[in-house]
Amino acid sequence: MSGMDPGGGGILGRSFHGLFRLAGFALSLLNPVTWLGELARAWVRWFGLGPFSFVLVNAMRNRRRATLTVLSVASSCGLLVTLLTLQRELTVPPESEGASLRIIARNKVSLAQPLPAKQLSAVEKIPGVVAVSPFTFFGGNFRDEQMTSFAQFAVEPARFRELLVEGRVSDGSYEEFIKDRNSCFVGADTMKRYDLKIGDKMRFTGTFYPVDLDLKIAAVFKGTVDDRGVFFHHKLLDELTGDPGTVGTWYIRVASAEVANDVIARINKAFENSSAEVRAETERAFQMGFISMLGNVKVLTLSISAVVVFTLMLVTVSTMSMAIRERFRELAILKALGFQRRELFAFILAESFGLSALGAFLGIGGAWLLWTYADLQKWTGGMILYFEVTPRIVATGSVVAAILGIVAAIGPSVAVARTSVVNGLRTLD
Amino acid sequence: MALPLRYNFRNVIVRWRTTVFTVLGVAAVVGVFVLLRALARGIESTSGNTGDPRNILVVRKGSQAESGSLVTREQYRTLQYFDEIARNERGEAVVSAELVMIVSAPRRAGAGEANTLIRGITPRGMELRPQVALVEGRWFHPGRREVVVSRRLSNRFEGFEPGGTIKAGPARLTVVGVFDGQGSAFDSEAWMDADEARALFDREQYSSLLLRPKDPDAAQAIMARLEQDKRLALRAEPETEYYSKQTMTAMPFKVLGGILGVAMSVGAVFAAMNTMYASVAARTREVGTLRVLGYSRGAVVLSFMIEGTLVAVMGGVLGCGLALLLNLYVQVRGVYFGTMDFQSFAETVFQFRVTPDLVGLGLLFSAIIGVVGSFLPALRAARLPVIAALKSV
Repeated sequence: MSGMDPGGGGILGRSFHGLFRLAGFALSLLNPVTWLGELARAWVRWFGLGPFSFVLVNAMRNRRRATLTVLSVASSCGLLVTLLTLQRELTVPPESEGASLRIIARNKVSLAQPLPAKQLSAVEKIPGVVAVSPFTFFGGNFRDEQMTSFAQFAVEPARFRELLVEGRVSDGSYEEFIKDRNSCFVGADTMKRYDLKIGDKMRFTGTFYPVDLDLKIAAVFKGTVDDRGVFFHHKLLDELTGDPGTVGTWYIRVASAEVANDVIARINKAFENSSAEVRAETERAFQMGFISMLGNVKVLTLSISAVVVFTLMLVTVSTMSMAIRERFRELAILKALGFQRRELFAFILAESFGLSALGAFLGIGGAWLLWTYADLQKWTGGMILYFEVTPRIVATGSVVAAILGIVAAIGPSVAVARTSVVNGLRTLD
Repeated sequence: MALPLRYNFRNVIVRWRTTVFTVLGVAAVVGVFVLLRALARGIESTSGNTGDPRNILVVRKGSQAESGSLVTREQYRTLQYFDEIARNERGEAVVSAELVMIVSAPRRAGAGEANTLIRGITPRGMELRPQVALVEGRWFHPGRREVVVSRRLSNRFEGFEPGGTIKAGPARLTVVGVFDGQGSAFDSEAWMDADEARALFDREQYSSLLLRPKDPDAAQAIMARLEQDKRLALRAEPETEYYSKQTMTAMPFKVLGGILGVAMSVGAVFAAMNTMYASVAARTREVGTLRVLGYSRGAVVLSFMIEGTLVAVMGGVLGCGLALLLNLYVQVRGVYFGTMDFQSFAETVFQFRVTPDLVGLGLLFSAIIGVVGSFLPALRAARLPVIAALKSV
């Protein structure tokens, strides 16, 4: 047999081996399982072997496996939290106090169809309407970008001020914005992202409109749910497009949330059977309409994800059960020593629950840290805005991990309970 | 000398319990990866399958899609007299001035509203699209508020069935026929008379022009001519090229597929490692025996890695198999998916497509999980001290 290698591979092999061990040692210092293992040993040395330290020492005996199990629980939990957060991001638009006071009225045909500007006076007269401004999506590309992620809207500045319920002017002056037809009102996030300051020019190439904009920043706003938008004079857009006498939508503020439904009904009725029928809805309903347009792909994606998380959990349960099955003989010995079934069950449960809890802590905590402190807006070019890991999501992840810990203990416990001591002692694998 | 493969096969079967779990885990990871890529592939294939290579599409310079484009009637008239454009048997220039409109419509089964794309076309427009064939009813009569819808939209939206009524604000459109676009982007559209559409939606201008040049040289000439003509400010490109670029909607699925694939495979690798370590630990004595028999460390490493990879690839086969089954089901039952197209803002209807290269990619992916997951356990098996291993229980 020429392939025999009794020495274990020359100098290179040995130094590689040394490096390998050193790296392994360094890694083990970072491993929470190692900390717990050492803690368990210290505990036993000082306080002797009690039920708690017995479980801990047992769980940490095969540290490699404990580590891998914890890591697979952690990765499943991290993934679960991430998917739940993604789902929330896709389906629940951020709430804001002003949203219940604001109504968006669009053409009933579709959002792409404009409304006649002359509707303004009729809308204004409707009881309950406090303020109304034209609100036209420009959809331009900033500088040389291919797809700009923040929106630009043409508004009537003096009227629009009343609609900005929760935002405030953080820099520059709103008066200046009202006065200068070529100026714009920009969100603080966009200012920061492009490193802009008051007085800078913003150039937009129109994609829906055959015109380009060249705007001077007059004021900055902050404190809305989305501090990215750019607002400019509707008069400027009218001028550039040859005054077609149309607006994209009407943005309306009502006196109180209670009258909102009433106002919506009145607006819809006011333009019934006219050439431009109107569909008014609350800002929130409007946003939900957008989400509904994403279609059933969303459901599909999320159900696929659910299957995956479930399967990963299943695999984790199997690995955890494996750890206990390996100690079948010892458990049989404990049984022979007079431990009762429920004590054995408690030992097994405590171990699997503990491993699962540690994994959940690392996975959920890791995901929370990552999604809370990572600048996702920057990474995704503004596609993802919040990606907030809510307490509810953390709780869901924790509950799943707890169930995982319990389920993993059931199989081996039943097996231990059923086997006779003699059979258990005979088990080899 | 390498260990016989049969040794690995039999081991995998004997330890079937852990094998099953690992196989399931890998199958889920690979299946999801393949399905998400298949969704992206479905959208891309719709775009890639649209248009006639002889046609040229003209839009406003600066607009990214037809929906954001405006073409005036003067521009339309000017282009009609271009010599490079083919003429039909009646001597008319083969140019269609078209209008793309978005109409919000209720989905069937109360699943909310979505935007649908209504295209106003001229008779030339139908000649230019031989891909599209009428399958039910008749074509619309010019000058009437009639519309012909694609089979997919007809199944998807309320009022889009033959004889049904589409509400566009105060206006009513009668559905007189159904067409089939053979898996092209036209399968997400409804067609009506262009001038009637302009009147109905109060549009002075068209959105785009579709034309057929006399020959490929004339096509090049038209594109060059429009590129240079600053006065017209139009942009021309081959129709097929225009549609093959409209694949931005597929991006999120690709990105999600990639991210989920990587994240899930990390979990799968941990699970595979755990299984393999347990397998090594349980076979300590066996490994010692093999070493004594004269098998080298390399042979042991190779054997364990083959075993791990075998299990993972079994998972890959299962995952791809499930994806293919789902694909078959979707094809046979005619299940479609819809999402908002980012360029037209209208709903695009498509099917996912599990193609052979995606299956190959899925299998490769599973093999990588297997190799990575079994490498360290295999090394451990090889490094077991022979004598101690033989003594272990």
